[in-house]
Amino acid sequence: MLGFLEKVADYTKEAVSAAKYLVDGLGVTFDHMRRRPVTVQYPYEKLIPSERYRGRIHYEFDKCIACEVCVRVCPINLPVVDWVMNKETKKKELRNYSIDFGACIFCGNCVEYCPTNCLSMTEEYELAAFDRHSLNYDNVALGRLPTSVTSDPSIRPLRELAYLPEGIMDPHELPANKKRAGKLPSQIIEELKKANSQEEANDSNDNVPNKLNSTN
Amino acid sequence: MNSGIDLEMSFTQGVQNLGLSHELAHLLWIPLPMLLVLVSAVIGVLVTVWLERKISAAAQQRIGPEYAGALGILQPMADGLKLLVKEDIIPAKADSILFTVGPILVLVPVILSWLIVPFGQNLLISNVGIGIFLWIALSSIQPIGLLMSGYSSNNKYSLLGGLRAAAQSISYEIPLALAVLAIVMMSNSLSTVDIVEQQNTAGFLSWNIWRQPVGFIIFWICALAECERLPFDLPEAEEELVAGYQTEYAGMKFALFYLAGYINLVLSALLVSVLYLGGWGFPISIDWFSSLIGVSIDNPLVQIIAASLGIVMTILKAYLLVFLAILLRWTTPRVRIDQLLDLGWKFLLPISLVNLLVTASLKLAFPMTFGG
Repeated sequence: MLGFLEKVADYTKEAVSAAKYLVDGLGVTFDHMRRRPVTVQYPYEKLIPSERYRGRIHYEFDKCIACEVCVRVCPINLPVVDWVMNKETKKKELRNYSIDFGACIFCGNCVEYCPTNCLSMTEEYELAAFDRHSLNYDNVALGRLPTSVTSDPSIRPLRELAYLPEGIMDPHELPANKKRAGKLPSQIIEELKKANSQEEANDSNDNVPNKLNSTN
Repeated sequence: MNSGIDLEMSFTQGVQNLGLSHELAHLLWIPLPMLLVLVSAVIGVLVTVWLERKISAAAQQRIGPEYAGALGILQPMADGLKLLVKEDIIPAKADSILFTVGPILVLVPVILSWLIVPFGQNLLISNVGIGIFLWIALSSIQPIGLLMSGYSSNNKYSLLGGLRAAAQSISYEIPLALAVLAIVMMSNSLSTVDIVEQQNTAGFLSWNIWRQPVGFIIFWICALAECERLPFDLPEAEEELVAGYQTEYAGMKFALFYLAGYINLVLSALLVSVLYLGGWGFPISIDWFSSLIGVSIDNPLVQIIAASLGIVMTILKAYLLVFLAILLRWTTPRVRIDQLLDLGWKFLLPISLVNLLVTASLKLAFPMTFGG
């Protein structure tokens, strides 16, 4: 009899704790209702791509020396470099260059290895097309620069989370001209340089005890 | 207790004054409330769909429908219109008759059940003596339609979904009926009007929820299961069964399922408010309030205000429950089929039996408060 009652008590306790968890969960859901939407209203608002964003590849025809390094480092040998050997000048003559963005994975290897820096990655990511063959960009299409999100008057540019000032979570309520949290890469490099030179100076000073240093 | 506004009486009298017979006047009257309730049920569904989408969006920190009408209020209309003009597909190897009858058999009993939903003293289609029993009887037709459409689709997902729907509906009907039985025992009537009237003697303090808190929870859980709302939406669990019994349906036939689901949700919310939350009753007793400001309750203006307040209160209570259902949808994970049946047979059924027993003994012990 006692065992049965204990079982009933345990069962009731379990049911009550389950109900408590349910109410806790409802509280969380209810709390989310008053929060501001985190979504980006895409065609009207767009996120500003980060500075190392790997978008569509940009290509400068005049800089290219047709070395085909980009083809060799590409995981699927994607870039098509169409050149002929000019026998008189004994130089390569570039005729066409194309990359098929229907097959490209935007790994950026070609950009990394290009000896003349004629390849670079842009912030363009809207590559939708009605026909997959129109994704095969030739050197003219590759040479076009994308329009920046920030320069389009019909679009509201929004900063990504990492580019927001400290304590602000929502790009919508961003005060004007507020810098992002932390230091810029250029500032960090500068500081590192300074610290390095100081260290070197310290190292050289350690060998010969110096009056100037001690007075510091 | 006064009889309140009787629209039917005044209508038939008005028509009879025009020189028509009493039967003809009655015949003319009958379609009016039916049409009104049908239209309000469909509008209720549109509002519910909009609320569901907006509240779901808010719970997930999205915006939701925005461009179809102000705040996307016309979005459900657009959805319905789309479904209306879509091609009606019957799979080649499906049983076309059962395939067509299935969704109709799901929708019709749900709409028929609106017969007994009271929005006021005389504001319902028919004050059937067996009111709430009629609803329980009608709601057990639904699983037949679900099973029919699941079986006739000739698709294993549909069949599984149909079987699950049938198993779920059958197992949750029992605790549901037992919870209703406890209410019926207290109010000594199956009529929804009597059940509400008996709750509105002292404002919100006399609502059934205080006398039947366990019954309220059981009824709500079972109602969610009957509507296949999220903690119990196994029959159409999209991750496992594509869309359950509605997998093969498109266009208007799919719309019938969709409509039936949402009408059923609104209906369940309305019935919870009728059975447990005092139906059309205002939280403060209107009788008491009118005597406080010194106006007779039979004053026509008071009557009209009370009637419209009653409609607003019923709908408000129902939509609060719909809101709770939507909130629950995004809070609770889906239960497994064994957990579902465990909950139904091993938890709700014994608890509802105990609840019934306790109600009966309380009725014997305190006939004043528990309706002797």
